[in-house]
Amino acid sequence: MKSMLLRTALTLGALLTTSAAYAAPVTGGTLNFARNADSQLLDPVLNNANVDIWILTNLYSTLLLPSADGKSVIPGLATSWTPSADGKTLTLKLRPGVKFADGSPVTTDDIIWSLTRAVDPKNGIWNFLLASVASVKAEGDDTIVLSLKNPDPSLPAALATFNSAIMPHKLFEAAKGGTDAEKAQNFAEHPIGSGPFVLASWQRGSHMVLKRNPYYWKKDEAGQQLPYLDEVNLTVVPDDATRILQLKAGQIDATEFVPYERAHELQGDTNLTMDLFPSTQITYLQLNADPKLNDGTPNPLSNEKVRQALNYAISKKAVIQVVTHGLGTPMHSFMPSTTPLYADLGPAYSFDMKKAKALLTEAGFPNGFSLTAFAQAGKANDSSTLATLQQMWGQLGVKLSIQQMDLPTMDARQHKSDYQIRTAYWTNDIADPNEITSYFAYFPNIRNQFSGWQDARTDKLFLQSQVELDPAKRVAEYKELQQIYVAGAPMFFLYESPFAAATRKNVIGFRQSPLGNDMFEAAYIEK
Amino acid sequence: MLARIPGRLLQIIPTLILIGVVVFVLLRLLPGDPASALLGNRATPESLARINAQMGFDKPIWVQFLLFLGRLAHGDLGVSVTERIPVTRVILQRLPVTLCLVGFAAVIALVLALPLAFVAALRQNRLPDLALRGLFQIGLSSPVFYIGLLLLGFLGARLHWFPVGGLGQGFWGAVYHLILPAFTLALSLAAVLMRNLRSAIIGVLRADYVDFARAKGITPWRVLTGHVLRNSLITTVALFGLNIGVLLGNSVITENVFAVPGIGGLLVDAIFGRDYPVVQGVTLVLAVLVSLVFLATDLMESWLDPRLHA
Repeated sequence: MKSMLLRTALTLGALLTTSAAYAAPVTGGTLNFARNADSQLLDPVLNNANVDIWILTNLYSTLLLPSADGKSVIPGLATSWTPSADGKTLTLKLRPGVKFADGSPVTTDDIIWSLTRAVDPKNGIWNFLLASVASVKAEGDDTIVLSLKNPDPSLPAALATFNSAIMPHKLFEAAKGGTDAEKAQNFAEHPIGSGPFVLASWQRGSHMVLKRNPYYWKKDEAGQQLPYLDEVNLTVVPDDATRILQLKAGQIDATEFVPYERAHELQGDTNLTMDLFPSTQITYLQLNADPKLNDGTPNPLSNEKVRQALNYAISKKAVIQVVTHGLGTPMHSFMPSTTPLYADLGPAYSFDMKKAKALLTEAGFPNGFSLTAFAQAGKANDSSTLATLQQMWGQLGVKLSIQQMDLPTMDARQHKSDYQIRTAYWTNDIADPNEITSYFAYFPNIRNQFSGWQDARTDKLFLQSQVELDPAKRVAEYKELQQIYVAGAPMFFLYESPFAAATRKNVIGFRQSPLGNDMFEAAYIEK
Repeated sequence: MLARIPGRLLQIIPTLILIGVVVFVLLRLLPGDPASALLGNRATPESLARINAQMGFDKPIWVQFLLFLGRLAHGDLGVSVTERIPVTRVILQRLPVTLCLVGFAAVIALVLALPLAFVAALRQNRLPDLALRGLFQIGLSSPVFYIGLLLLGFLGARLHWFPVGGLGQGFWGAVYHLILPAFTLALSLAAVLMRNLRSAIIGVLRADYVDFARAKGITPWRVLTGHVLRNSLITTVALFGLNIGVLLGNSVITENVFAVPGIGGLLVDAIFGRDYPVVQGVTLVLAVLVSLVFLATDLMESWLDPRLHA
């Protein structure tokens, strides 16, 4: 209840500041923003990490853009997109007069080359999002036609995702290096795109300065040129407590990854604005449903009833209180509620010890069993989540032992299905449910997070939904798929939680998208 | 004395090779691998295999080691898995910062420890001695990150005397920004040096040659600086050299708390990213540094104590 009030207050606050923004956006100035880690490779196609993804949208534009709520797409470098009746071509009209940050025009050649590079299965890990694209062609100077291998309802969302960013072909080719990878690495040191900002300098591990792109194509609703800021100075400050101290001291204007336990305190600080942006961030426990564990011992979690029972025996409310200080909300599906086509089917297992006990007895484990869960060493939230579960499951006679290890060890063991339960987090990268579904529910990809859980109907529904032309049918397919997943319980559902960012009071308009992108385009500093 | 330097420098080489082998093998014995660490829960078997192949981690370990040695002979430490630029470049960007931090801390430690050790020794078991030892005991036993956060919160965020972490602009900006982290880093070393030097001074003060010097009518100040200081410094110098390695180790935490973009933070990130080439490179560079400091310590010791020439 408290968190509801808080959120309402925040939303109201956001509305008020937004309306103020249209009254008097201030142009100019530098925003100092502290991040918890530095970027690695600022290439839209070849990057692997959120530290890159979440910055790229400031440097590059895509043909389409995700809407503010992340549930649909809006025009970007293309002003319209029209699928053919058979769904096998997509025609995009281009915005006239768009320029890269060096002043050269964005041409159809740049678009064809960028998308062809993004589609190439040899390039990076994101090409699957564009797997339906057979060829990219231009018709005249202002039209791009994508020919598809099959109809693809997620294509507009894919064209609004960072890996479809339009890069300057000639400048890329002029970069040093013999191969695409070498050129990419050199080009990514001084990337030129058509986003609101351009990288001015980068001292790795320390800071990165983004300068206003004077040729940016976007204006705000009042017709004023974006971005408002002259510069964004992104500094790297790994320690949470130090970032908050810097913000309080006024050394920085804004920061991200505020620990939830500090949110209330910062809300009380009259110099600061505490933002809780709706996110696609879920926290859950991944489980292994294989009949036997890697050491050959039988795995009770292979029994669906056991998985359901243990899910019933989790008080998400308690976990949310302990770990997020009330800022989280219980998961209702494997996908975050901010995902397009998310079906709200009610709580995924509401706390019910009686049902849990009955199911466990039915499954043949009236006296419980032992389980081992991996927690990320040094991550207090992981330990307190599992400690809470230890108590709840203990009432069923289920003994949970916690094994601490570092993240790469945990990841590698999961990738070999050599685990029983592990703590896990996820954020979507695309405004479509297909990415998370391909990793979590569609078995042939990665055995559903290496859980071994498989459902033939789900696999069929996913493939169908990937080529579904009728939006209503796609909704229905995703609804059924989510129902099956929740019933099959190949994970322990925990909570969704917002992106917690904090700014000085005079910073207006900074936003994190539900996908996690830091958006500086409409940010400004009030005088 | 100086004639021994080339020989000692040559001795460093086998040490480095040994460290190289140990780090190379230990890294690969650690559970986890670079591709898994890079891709996390977006990993597919194909993408894992592709990245391992690109980086050459799919080859047998002895082949990888020979390739590593071959590149090393040309001064090439390989390419970072996460940043995908040459490791030498990654290290060169970060190393000067850590060298400044550690050097600065070493100077602060000496500046604190030397005079205070004399004060404590000359006022042995009286109030100044007890107070100083008590204070330094606290410095020695408090975790670096805790002292760091206290200083940041009070002297930085509250009083605005110092910046709250970061490195600032230009040389003097960096010096200003490094005062608090260097001071934090220096505290435990200063405590160790102070205690050691204090007891050394007390020992020397009781020696016959000091009585003799006094008896000759040499002024107390000359006795202290000429006889007592030089003789009591011998063990302190050795301890100082040994502790430079500890200082480098502690800089990991200090850099993290104060957002100083040095090599310590790089090493930690590289270990958590299983960035084998970076971990190998940083370890070798640190090993060279520590070896050079040990060499300098030895030379300093034999200068202070000519008996060691033998």
